[in-house]
Amino acid sequence: MFGTATPLERGLIIIGFLCLLVLPFVITNPYHIHTATMIVYFAFMAASWNFVCGYLGQLSLGHSVFSGVAGYVTVLMFTQLGISPWIGMLFGGLLAAVLSVAIGSLTFRLKGPYFTLTTIAFAEIMRIWFENTDNFIGIPLKGSEGLVVPLVGDSWWAFQFNDKTPYYYIALGLLLMIVLATIMLEKSKLGYYLKAIRGDQDGAEALGINPTKYSLIALSISAFFTGIGGAFFAQFFRYINPERNMGIDMSIDMAIMAIIGGQGTVLGPILGAFILHPIAEITRTTLGGSFLGLHLVIYGTVLALTVLYFPQGIIVPLRRILARISGRAKK
Amino acid sequence: MDLLLAAHIVKNGLLIGGIYGGVALGLSLIFGVMRIINFAHGSLLMVAMYLAWFLWKTLGLHPYVAAFITVPALFGLGYLIQSQIISHLFTREKALVVEPLSALLLTAGIFLVLDNLVLMIFGPDVRAVSVDIAYANFFIGEIPVNIPRFIAFVASIVVASGLSYWLKHSNMGRAIRATAQNRDAATMSGINVPFIYNVTFGLGVAILGLFGALLVPFFSITPTLGLSFGIKSFIVVVLGGIGSIWGCVVGGIVLGLFEAVASQFVTATSAAIFSFGLFIVILLVRPKGLMGKA
Repeated sequence: MFGTATPLERGLIIIGFLCLLVLPFVITNPYHIHTATMIVYFAFMAASWNFVCGYLGQLSLGHSVFSGVAGYVTVLMFTQLGISPWIGMLFGGLLAAVLSVAIGSLTFRLKGPYFTLTTIAFAEIMRIWFENTDNFIGIPLKGSEGLVVPLVGDSWWAFQFNDKTPYYYIALGLLLMIVLATIMLEKSKLGYYLKAIRGDQDGAEALGINPTKYSLIALSISAFFTGIGGAFFAQFFRYINPERNMGIDMSIDMAIMAIIGGQGTVLGPILGAFILHPIAEITRTTLGGSFLGLHLVIYGTVLALTVLYFPQGIIVPLRRILARISGRAKK
Repeated sequence: MDLLLAAHIVKNGLLIGGIYGGVALGLSLIFGVMRIINFAHGSLLMVAMYLAWFLWKTLGLHPYVAAFITVPALFGLGYLIQSQIISHLFTREKALVVEPLSALLLTAGIFLVLDNLVLMIFGPDVRAVSVDIAYANFFIGEIPVNIPRFIAFVASIVVASGLSYWLKHSNMGRAIRATAQNRDAATMSGINVPFIYNVTFGLGVAILGLFGALLVPFFSITPTLGLSFGIKSFIVVVLGGIGSIWGCVVGGIVLGLFEAVASQFVTATSAAIFSFGLFIVILLVRPKGLMGKA
């Protein structure tokens, strides 16, 4: 299941996963568990983005639309119909997948920057529409004010917990799911098709691969997972609004974490989230409000440096270093 | 809809549209010559506006005087960004062809840095320059025309004419056009292509220096206004046809009129939906833009 990983890398991956698994037993401060949950959540989101964009080599900056729509579906099904968020989450994810097919069938004929700009345009249309709609055919969307998930107390059915630990394990479970899905993608025909399309679309088409069809399949899976993530985000904060759950900031976060870590790899996006999100947290807590935006200055700088020096992501030089270490150990 | 209201709408659309066109000129020039989509375009306008505001606040300079500082300052900033940061992409790639997405990502990094540096320095507060001219009007018939907006509108026509004349008739302009057509041939004819790139990028950003100063009398500034101006500029450039100077002005006016009409039917914030919709439709139906060549 590790692909081309060396024994040292396998060891590190297993140790890393075990550390994540026992983390809540080691740290007890709820704030730290909260931060750990957010890191795992962003790793999941970056990996979901990577599922289509990384393997296809197209840059979407509109993925937040999937997280936002699915989040709203989950919250509304709970508040309006009394349906458990677990079921709402699946519905939200499926709706995000349907929406992604609608958007993708239009945008996938565009290439490179044009594709990117159109994904932004679609996501912004949805965000602005949600922000300016209080009531849509009887469904209270409450515009930019957002929706609050009513508190019902500790309940698995309602996806609400007094303790932060269950949220952490749910996020970790989601992360494990996307990692397994990505590993399966790498081994599947779909994965090879996507790589072929990334390498040379005309060539792939000449070999009988329908680029739009396979791009759409991958996009809908990616949108489904992104939607699940959006639903989780809404439940975790018990609050959803268009700006935070559907805004371009979320899309940019997902994309740059995956790109900095290493797009088109299983672990790259996760590495990116584990490097970048702690930077955001540390600057926020240690420097407080006086340096608003400092973490984004760092994100931007790291992004520019990555594009210039490690265009395939930080995972590439990291693996090279690990290979050197294990090579030395053999001697 | 009565005639006076219609005239008002057209006037508003024309004025703001001309300004959109002027702001987008640099983006179009840079894309036309270097094939780079500068994601930081709007942020550089925001920087220019903050600079003009800062000069007014500290030295009491009128924004129109400040333009004599913001234009060279932004030229220098653009020149530096290209020569120190983006040029690495060109030297890395073979045959000086840049993979478009790397350039987009790199400039997205610059966008994040600029927006948030300004946020750190000046805070999230809305700033405004108050000068007397902001409320001055002249009348065409019964319709009042806001003078600072009219000046910005005229400026974009002047800059577009000047730029297209300069590109056609000066040696540097010819070198820029040659580089845009064929980098390798330009290099072989003795043109210093990296230098041309630096100048082009600097020039594209210098235009933002001018519009930053011209916009502040009637436009309040926040650190986040860059992205919306950037996206509008993309829309304008796509509408007008990439790399076409006059297409840019026409695209701007089309967008301005479109927004002015749309905002009669929905609120101004919702009207942005129609601009984005127009952008998607144009990209899908006529990717060369309204005035673009094949």
